[in-house]
Amino acid sequence: MSVPGATPVRRFRLRRPRVAAAWRQPLAVIGLSLAAAWILVAIFAPLLAPSDPLEQNAAPLLPPGGDYLFGTDELGRDVLSRVLYGARISIPLALLLVGLALLVGATLGAVAGYFGGFVDSIVMRSADLVFAFPAIILAMVVTAVLGPSIRNAVLALVIVSWPSYARVVRGLVLSIGQTEYVTATRLLGASARRALVRDVLPNVAGPVLVLATLDLGNAILLLSALSFLGLGAQPPQPEWGAGVAEGIQYFQFWWIGTFPGLAIFSVVLAFNFLGDSLRDVLDPQSSWRAGSEEE
Amino acid sequence: MLSRSTPRRVLLVAVALVAAIAVAAAAANSTSNDQAATGTLVIDKSFDLKTADPQRQFEVTGGIVAHVLYDTLLEFRGSDVTTPRPSLATGYRASNGAKTYTFTLRRNVRFSDGTPLTSRDVVFSFRRLINLKGNPSFLLAGVTVSAGGPYTVILRSRTPNPALPAIVANGSLGIVNSKLVEANGGTDAAGADKTDKAESFLNRTSAGSGPYLLKSFNTTSRVELTANPRYTGRRKAKFATVVIRNVLAPAQLLSVQRGTNEISLDLSPDQARPLFGSRNVNVQAISGPNIWFLFANSNSKISSITSNKRFQNAIRYQLDYAGLVRLAGRGSGRAAGVVPSQFLGALADAAAIKQNTTRAKAELAASGLTNPEVELEFPSDFTSSGLSFGVIAQKIQADLGKIGIKVNLAGKPIATSLANYRAGTEQLGLWLWGPDYPDPNDYLVFLPGQLVGLRAGWAAGSDRRLEALGRRAGSTSNPRVRGQLFRQIQVQLNQRGPFFPLFQPGQVVAASKNLTGVVYNATFQIDLATIGSR
Repeated sequence: MSVPGATPVRRFRLRRPRVAAAWRQPLAVIGLSLAAAWILVAIFAPLLAPSDPLEQNAAPLLPPGGDYLFGTDELGRDVLSRVLYGARISIPLALLLVGLALLVGATLGAVAGYFGGFVDSIVMRSADLVFAFPAIILAMVVTAVLGPSIRNAVLALVIVSWPSYARVVRGLVLSIGQTEYVTATRLLGASARRALVRDVLPNVAGPVLVLATLDLGNAILLLSALSFLGLGAQPPQPEWGAGVAEGIQYFQFWWIGTFPGLAIFSVVLAFNFLGDSLRDVLDPQSSWRAGSEEE
Repeated sequence: MLSRSTPRRVLLVAVALVAAIAVAAAAANSTSNDQAATGTLVIDKSFDLKTADPQRQFEVTGGIVAHVLYDTLLEFRGSDVTTPRPSLATGYRASNGAKTYTFTLRRNVRFSDGTPLTSRDVVFSFRRLINLKGNPSFLLAGVTVSAGGPYTVILRSRTPNPALPAIVANGSLGIVNSKLVEANGGTDAAGADKTDKAESFLNRTSAGSGPYLLKSFNTTSRVELTANPRYTGRRKAKFATVVIRNVLAPAQLLSVQRGTNEISLDLSPDQARPLFGSRNVNVQAISGPNIWFLFANSNSKISSITSNKRFQNAIRYQLDYAGLVRLAGRGSGRAAGVVPSQFLGALADAAAIKQNTTRAKAELAASGLTNPEVELEFPSDFTSSGLSFGVIAQKIQADLGKIGIKVNLAGKPIATSLANYRAGTEQLGLWLWGPDYPDPNDYLVFLPGQLVGLRAGWAAGSDRRLEALGRRAGSTSNPRVRGQLFRQIQVQLNQRGPFFPLFQPGQVVAASKNLTGVVYNATFQIDLATIGSR
């Protein structure tokens, strides 16, 4: 058992050089710049896109090049504009969905971990129940019941993804809740709520942030998958997954599906790299690099 | 104007058709009728197969199989679907105002086991079809069947039924060997839907008189046929074996490029694009018989906007029909009216509604509606002829948006959207109508108070002139007069109806170059028996 007080000091010293080192990793640089680029694209899409993503003004099925860098689709819409505008759908929705899942999952996990007993059993068994199904299948069931739309797809994915947050937060709350400093706060007369909010949650934030960043990529992938299956975004929204589905119908015209597919690929990759790097910074214990570098 | 130019066009088309049939027949004959069947023909088809029992099947794949296992009283030849020709029957006589049809059977026809085919088998097959109460049973709704002698069959319809000759050419009305089927659990008695046990037998062994025999049958993988050595009719098998494989369209594209003696039936015009101009493959892209149409609900309870006649006219004249046909792909054609171009009574392309934005704007202004916003429902998860409803819906949305009609797309899974369509609750609906049998009578459903009319909120009594015309056309047996009546109906439908016929999507048949006699037909798709090899 470590001496309380000593550990945080040692960690503090070790962490500073690691922060810089972690962000110098090529993967971190790539992840950060790609993610930042996509977020900028999402914000400035109307300025960047050469034309309206819904306008059917060009000749249909033009190959990439010339006036249409990514070509045009079967309805004569500019694929580049659709891909750029697609960022305005996928990225904010993924942020929203991960935020919601985090809020729901973290709250439930914290409550379960802190109070234990009956509350814990109820929350964690429902989490197990959700875990028992493959995420995409459960999400498909939910959207099929609620009706296909992008809003319902987000809802479905929140339902599918809150348990992982609940599980992580519960575990952390359990371990931190038993540390001496929390016990001390409680002995000094602090309420359970104060102990949870002021002492426990800040210590949980790091790992949860890492999980959330990694989950962003996953969320975009699942959202696109639902739209690909026709359960998410509905036409004529320029959603990427729907774009890939459209491309499948017009296989000879590879550009219709390939560019939205590449967009999904790069965003997911960016958030995964970013998540990995964040983990190195915020959660050194669980990082593989921590072990190899330190010992 | 119209009535003067139409007969000449029809005559021209008829001459062309006859010439085409003659050429096709000559080609079929030249590939030697008496040569022994050899080799294997491979058909790639995306299966919608349920059963090999002719009286139970009503699917596309099942129809292709039934067409060569079981002969019918009359048949369509080549690509023609307007004139039923003799097959088991040498001819027929209509009497009693198109209510009674008497068919005379060809003598010396034998089933594949050698049993002679008589009127008993025809009566058994038709009664079995009716009493099985399956998907195709409606074809003989209101019809009673009896034998007038060993080689005479009489069909009596409760109402005048000029479509009956076209109906008896349907594969579901293929004639089975009554003794053999009865011996294996089959029955034609009332209650056959519960007591008939012959389906599993018919899924193992065919019991017909057609050019091919069933060798093996699997609804999910493949069907094998072998030539019928006892066959004596006009359509003698030219291959020893035919294999029909369940293959998805993209894979069909690969295998038809590599194989010989191979035919692919499910490529969309866009998928088939690499094959046009190929050295090994012949590609035909012809307008199929399905009619894609848009409708605006005429029931003011569903929408006060879409039921506005001026608003309907605004849609009618604003749709970019030429663009829609282009979008539907190669081989697609304009649907001039609701009756497909191949059928009796079809409208000439010249009579189709054309885009006229000025008029559309004027109609919209006259409608008294400002910034109308309507919902367009369509099946979001369904494609036909490789074409998705979502794509067409987006085009319609853009077209109507140009004159200020805001269309919200409401694609729904087909189970939901079909239920709404059938309940008549869609404001705008995008659907297709595929023929049940190749006769214009099948299109009277678009009139007020009829099946599809009601789905568009068009109640009986909404257009009495058109309804009276429909009743007359539905009970007239003279083909020339019928054709004229149906054209009149469609001209009026195009002027006043809530339906906007869009296009007939192209149907692609891709076949190895060495094959002969590959002809697409809108009813049975393809006749395997006429296909030979060079």
